[in-house]
Amino acid sequence: MKVHVYAALKEYFTPEFELAEPIRNTDELKVCLLAINATAGEILKTCRFAVEDGFIDNDFKLKEHDTVIIVPPSSGG
Amino acid sequence: MTLSLSSLPAAEADPPESASPSGAGTSAEPKDQSDQSAAFPYISAESLDLVELLRNAHHPGAGAVVLFSGEVRDNNRGRDVACLEYESYGPLASKMIRDILQEAKEKWNLQIVLAQHRIGKVAIGDTAVVVITASAHRSEAYAANRHIIDRIKHEAPIWKCEYYTDGTHEWGNNCNCHSITGDNAKHIYETAPGPSATSSGYPGPSAPPNQSY
Repeated sequence: MKVHVYAALKEYFTPEFELAEPIRNTDELKVCLLAINATAGEILKTCRFAVEDGFIDNDFKLKEHDTVIIVPPSSGG
Repeated sequence: MTLSLSSLPAAEADPPESASPSGAGTSAEPKDQSDQSAAFPYISAESLDLVELLRNAHHPGAGAVVLFSGEVRDNNRGRDVACLEYESYGPLASKMIRDILQEAKEKWNLQIVLAQHRIGKVAIGDTAVVVITASAHRSEAYAANRHIIDRIKHEAPIWKCEYYTDGTHEWGNNCNCHSITGDNAKHIYETAPGPSATSSGYPGPSAPPNQSY
């Protein structure tokens, strides 16, 4: 699974990285991300997750070849 | 910056063929508003051309055109800002802006609606985001425009990094609605929830949803 992060999340993770272990949903992904950087807990609570051009929730079944986008709160405009 | 163009009352009452002159710089033909992205990508790494956008915002059925330009100022929260840098998750940001515009077009019966947001470094005074709304009368154009910019700021996956004159930088000014709503997908907007009744008597649409993504 590929993971892309943006904005302030880049201070916690590299912008793009791959996870080898099987991850079935966003809750499992959060656990994996915290294992990489335990200090990211607070910002991850505010984030949403997306695959392709749509947001996903924990019911979405992640697949091995998905690219998951981690979306921090917006600050456009 | 908000610029509003409104024809005279007499022109608003005129039939469409006489409401918009055929002179240079105007576009009398209604535009296909299903998707602006061919001409004006929703997310742009290039400077936003407000003149060209406005040139494409005229419609014979529209007596009012409102243009909002969100511009980079040189200070924020007491700090001197050198420039801003924006990034976005383009596929989702473009889809969301397109959907926000389409929803606003239907709710406020807009003839024209356009929006673009910059990514990359944006200098002080330059435009970071533009929203143009054109409608028969000004109340709809103003209301829709403010609603659109609110939703883009709160919802679209676009982020700004502030670069300060002291050499530091900071990602910030994030939407913080989740701390109130308890849901990262629910937002609180500055605008009133839709022009269900206005001082002009315009029987506007029902309140737009507080959440769509």
